[in-house]
Amino acid sequence: MTEIPVALTVTLSVGTAAAVALALLLARSMREARRLRQRSATAEKELQDALRHQAALSARTQAVEAEVRHLAANRVPDLAASLAHPHVPVRGLLDPGFRGTELDRSLTAVMDQVVDAVTKERLRMDSAAQSAMRGSTTTIQALLYQLQSKLQAMQERYDDPFVAEDLLTADFLNEQALRRIQATAIVCGAWPGLTRQDSHLGDMVLGAMSRLVGYERVQVTNQLRDPLGVVARAVEPVVVALAELIANALHYSHPELPVAVTIQQGNRGASIIVDDAGVGMHAEEMERAQRLMSGQDPMLLTELGDPPRTGFASVGQLVRQYGFAASVEASPYGGVRAIVHIPGEPLLTLMDVEKQPMSPMTPPPRGSSSGAPPIPPALPGDTTSQRPPRQPEPAPAHGETVQLGTVPERPAADTTATTGTAPSPDRVPAPDGDLPRRRRRRAVPEAALDQPFGGAAEAPPQPRTQPAAPSAPPAQSSPEESAERWAAFQRGTASGRAAADEGADDWPHPSQGRHAAPPHAADPHADPRSAEGNPQE
Amino acid sequence: MTPPPADDRRLVPAFLATTGRARPSRNTLDRLTVLHGATDPATVTGLRPEETRLLELLRGGALSLAEAAAHLRLPVSVVKVLVADLVDGGRLMARAPIPDAELPERQILEKVLNGLRTLKSF
Repeated sequence: MTEIPVALTVTLSVGTAAAVALALLLARSMREARRLRQRSATAEKELQDALRHQAALSARTQAVEAEVRHLAANRVPDLAASLAHPHVPVRGLLDPGFRGTELDRSLTAVMDQVVDAVTKERLRMDSAAQSAMRGSTTTIQALLYQLQSKLQAMQERYDDPFVAEDLLTADFLNEQALRRIQATAIVCGAWPGLTRQDSHLGDMVLGAMSRLVGYERVQVTNQLRDPLGVVARAVEPVVVALAELIANALHYSHPELPVAVTIQQGNRGASIIVDDAGVGMHAEEMERAQRLMSGQDPMLLTELGDPPRTGFASVGQLVRQYGFAASVEASPYGGVRAIVHIPGEPLLTLMDVEKQPMSPMTPPPRGSSSGAPPIPPALPGDTTSQRPPRQPEPAPAHGETVQLGTVPERPAADTTATTGTAPSPDRVPAPDGDLPRRRRRRAVPEAALDQPFGGAAEAPPQPRTQPAAPSAPPAQSSPEESAERWAAFQRGTASGRAAADEGADDWPHPSQGRHAAPPHAADPHADPRSAEGNPQE
Repeated sequence: MTPPPADDRRLVPAFLATTGRARPSRNTLDRLTVLHGATDPATVTGLRPEETRLLELLRGGALSLAEAAAHLRLPVSVVKVLVADLVDGGRLMARAPIPDAELPERQILEKVLNGLRTLKSF
């Protein structure tokens, strides 16, 4: 009996131990299996992720490739086109998802490099073209000036009407050629090619219009109070700028409409206002013209069109270099108003009309005494009533617009006829900060009744009753002296003829003429020739 | 860059005075034609500035055409046109110059000289 329980106990204990061991093993293997299942699940997930990632990567690579292709095929050409024509839009990234990424920055850097290279190359080409043009225009311009001198000498020399007319035509053609070549040269960075003496503003306006086809349509009104001129260095630049602006006015208005040019004197300078009643400019053109004329941006020949439109660009260059100002705006006449303002401080000067008279074609300033000296006393009470009609201020009345289109007579003529007599004291402005004023000679109106010549004449006006005024040794004969001599000569001839007629004999007549004529007649026609240095015949 | 010295190149060309015409409406004018003003320029409106200047020059008396041209600093051919226009408008009077007396012909002078010599030899 004891054997069995022992055996049983042993058996049981062994069995229990085995069971425990098995249970442990089982538990362990189950854990293992679970772990393996988990691992395989994660592995599968990782694999899925990897596959997805790879797909994304290859998509991205394709996108980058597409982006680069887009850059080469579209964006760079767009950029090149937009550098020449600013209105061409430049396309952006193909895929907006790249915005702000490293790729975007790199591509932008490429674009910047392209811009830089193209711009540099364009500047280089343009300056090469400009210097080539400058070289040839300078030579041509010098030749045309020589031709001008030649033509002028020939005009003095040849009296035959047909020859003279052809010479005038040739002269005009030469002026037009000069204007073109000069504007081109200036656009290409050359200087105007000519330094003149100090010149009257009125003469400068006439000089400018003489270079243009259709100058007959230009009506100049001189509203200056003083004989203002421009200092030598700025004369030709201002004339060139004026010529371009008047040319613009003439070109863009109907060939029968006048172009009104007004010279005005302000407190701090003088302005020349060019008004046309033509087609006008729309806002974009106006903006472009302003930009070109401001002279701020560097200007490229290639931006001026084909053929290059040099007008506003040359004005801009001159404005920048010489310190006057030019602007355009809509004109109250319906067209364009261009204003050239010349600051008084560095650029204006007062002219000595006796030493350097104005050209006879220039309308005299309204303050000058050369308009109508003989009737001064009648007017002082009258001036106020006369002022309003001739006051074309920058904002003209409606009636003037009509006048611009219809009235054929030149406003300058009657302006001078009425304004020359206005007494000076009421229009002397405050002198502070003002232009230097020349004191007007008060003696002129009093002496004017027997004073035949205005202040613009060459002779110093002196009372003629005093023979041989001590102050003035007449180096050359003044017009009045010659005139007096001729008058005396004619009186003598007339009385001689009368005497000869009394003699009822025809023979003494020519002989008397022969005696009378040589001493006087030789004088006047020798006089101008020697003065002009003009060996005629 | 120093600009070259100023020269006195004309600024206003002569063709502006007559808008390019140099053929006067009358061909009786020459350099010695004597001009008198017939009107006072102050009383006339509608004159161009150069016409006013010419009439002002003549207010003191008469001038030859060449002299007037010299004072206006215009070529004679252009002043002729101005004068012709003003004469046509009745604002100026132009008179032909007094002709030089005709000189006797050379042969006659020689005959006279010979006659005198023969007289002297008597």
